[in-house]
Amino acid sequence: MSDATVFIVDDDRAVARSLRWLIESVRLKVETYASAHDFLDAYDAARPGCLVLDVRMPEMSGLELQQRLAARPAYHLPIVFITGHGDVQMAVRAVKAGAFDFVEKPFNDQDLLDRVQRAIAHDAAQRERECQREQRRALFASLTAREREVLDLVVEGLSNKAIANSLGVSAKTVEFHRAKVMEKLHARSLTDLVKLAMQYASEA
Amino acid sequence: MGIESDAIWLGLVALGGALAAALIALAVAALRLREAEQRVRDKEVEHQGVLDRLQENEYRLRAIIESEPECVKLQAADGTVLEINPAGLKLVDADRFEDIVGKPIYSVVAPECIEIYRENMRRVFAGEALVYEFRSITLKGRTCWMETHAVPLRDARGAIYALLGITRDVTEHKLAEEQVRRHQTELARVARLSTMGEMATGLAHELNQPLAAIANFARGCIRRLRSGDVAPGELIRPLEEVCQQAERAGEVMRHVRDFVRKREPVLAATDLNQIVRGVAKFNEMETRQQNAVLKLDLAPELPRVWADPIMVEQVIGNLVRNSIEAMAEARSRRREITIRTAASGRDAVEVEIGDTGPGIDGALIDQVFDQFFTTKPEGVGMGLSISRSIVESHGGSIRAESRAGGGATFRFSLQAVAQRESSVERRYSIHR
Repeated sequence: MSDATVFIVDDDRAVARSLRWLIESVRLKVETYASAHDFLDAYDAARPGCLVLDVRMPEMSGLELQQRLAARPAYHLPIVFITGHGDVQMAVRAVKAGAFDFVEKPFNDQDLLDRVQRAIAHDAAQRERECQREQRRALFASLTAREREVLDLVVEGLSNKAIANSLGVSAKTVEFHRAKVMEKLHARSLTDLVKLAMQYASEA
Repeated sequence: MGIESDAIWLGLVALGGALAAALIALAVAALRLREAEQRVRDKEVEHQGVLDRLQENEYRLRAIIESEPECVKLQAADGTVLEINPAGLKLVDADRFEDIVGKPIYSVVAPECIEIYRENMRRVFAGEALVYEFRSITLKGRTCWMETHAVPLRDARGAIYALLGITRDVTEHKLAEEQVRRHQTELARVARLSTMGEMATGLAHELNQPLAAIANFARGCIRRLRSGDVAPGELIRPLEEVCQQAERAGEVMRHVRDFVRKREPVLAATDLNQIVRGVAKFNEMETRQQNAVLKLDLAPELPRVWADPIMVEQVIGNLVRNSIEAMAEARSRRREITIRTAASGRDAVEVEIGDTGPGIDGALIDQVFDQFFTTKPEGVGMGLSISRSIVESHGGSIRAESRAGGGATFRFSLQAVAQRESSVERRYSIHR
């Protein structure tokens, strides 16, 4: 989490500077941008953290920036919106469009910092899940076609004998493939194996 | 004896002659008399015809007047009602003619209208034709508004002997008028409120920004002090920022005060070029923030105009901000606003504000000055409407144009100060 950065986009430079000063007080790394364009130009999806955005900005509003990010295929930073007082409509639109959270101006500093922290934690968790998913994908990709067939039938609950019959091979061969699959997927038990396979299937 | 008998004969003959002559004369006289009688009879018949026709005319007129749906009445100079038709009876709620005929018309005129009614009567009897309105309280106490078209009636010698009045009940019309007026007052009130609302919204934002920044800087300082994790010197920069932001808020307030201070239009010989420069300066930041360029093309030696400088500044500022917003909203690549001033003819000065924005939809160009017309998502639609009323209250005119290649142009003209007055003004300002 130490490499997480809070990206602030606000057209009012004084407000952006003050947010940086406030957020830096909890030892978070902060970068400020004066416009949505500036941020998009510098945006690197690989950098963890969260985005703090003013809903209303000239040129490109916070909501538009959110849409631009959402249109990209890669996972993007969670967004904490800062909305004007009583601007419930904007807040609702932002959350519907996938915003992580929002704070209403004038906000309590602790409130903002809590939301920023939660957004960063959320981002870290997302990235962690994404990482595991990638690993699973790599593990399953290492299976041979025959091993996949055996795995599928194991998950269906068939005994080695039934699998052997179904594939027209000896039970010994099935035994061999099964051990190989367990090894390749780092599965310690049958339950482990079934769980992994289900997870992978749900992600495919 | 012979002579005597001759004489008798002669006498007889003479007598006979005389008699004959007399007879003839008589016959002639009789004949003439008969002719005369015939002529008299003819005349009489003729007269009778005329009388009949007169009678007929009178009947016809009476029938028309009696069946006339509006009140027709004759009044004497002192206000006595001489004649009135049935519609008139109904109008004043009289059951019989005697209720009103022979009585003063003032019995059905509301007290506050009697004085002016008398004056109108006097003018009609002096030969004027008039249309006047008055409030009436009928014989049964009903209140209504009347409108009378009155003309003087003259006799054969040309003397005015009566007032012929045709009177209508205009109560409904009057009420409708009243309603329209009330509606307009209400509209104006709403307009004032929304202008204030718009201003308050803008003001709130302008003030909230520096206040939010101040709060953030201050809280950042407090957090660091609480954790004991800060050297005093590190707090100087953020505290300076706090001061700057407080000054920024104060600047906003100062401008609001300037804006609301002068409400009544105060006309003065005004240099439009100077106002344009002021507007350009005031909108400098906003213009730059929106990546726009504001160009001035000001005519040298521009005649001064009679105008309230603050109001005119409001109009030009309004148009400039509209242009900036329109170009930002449309993401125009080229964002240029040009303010041009020029003398227009001998006695007017024209100001033109043109931009390189999206222009105005041809179908909407006639509506842009209407109240509550707006193309901005958060607009109220008052800016241009107020601008127009300001220009018009100065006796000028404003219009909008949209060019084919995009871009909108607003143009308004104001009355120039006459040459002589202008030189007086100039002398005055030099001696001062």
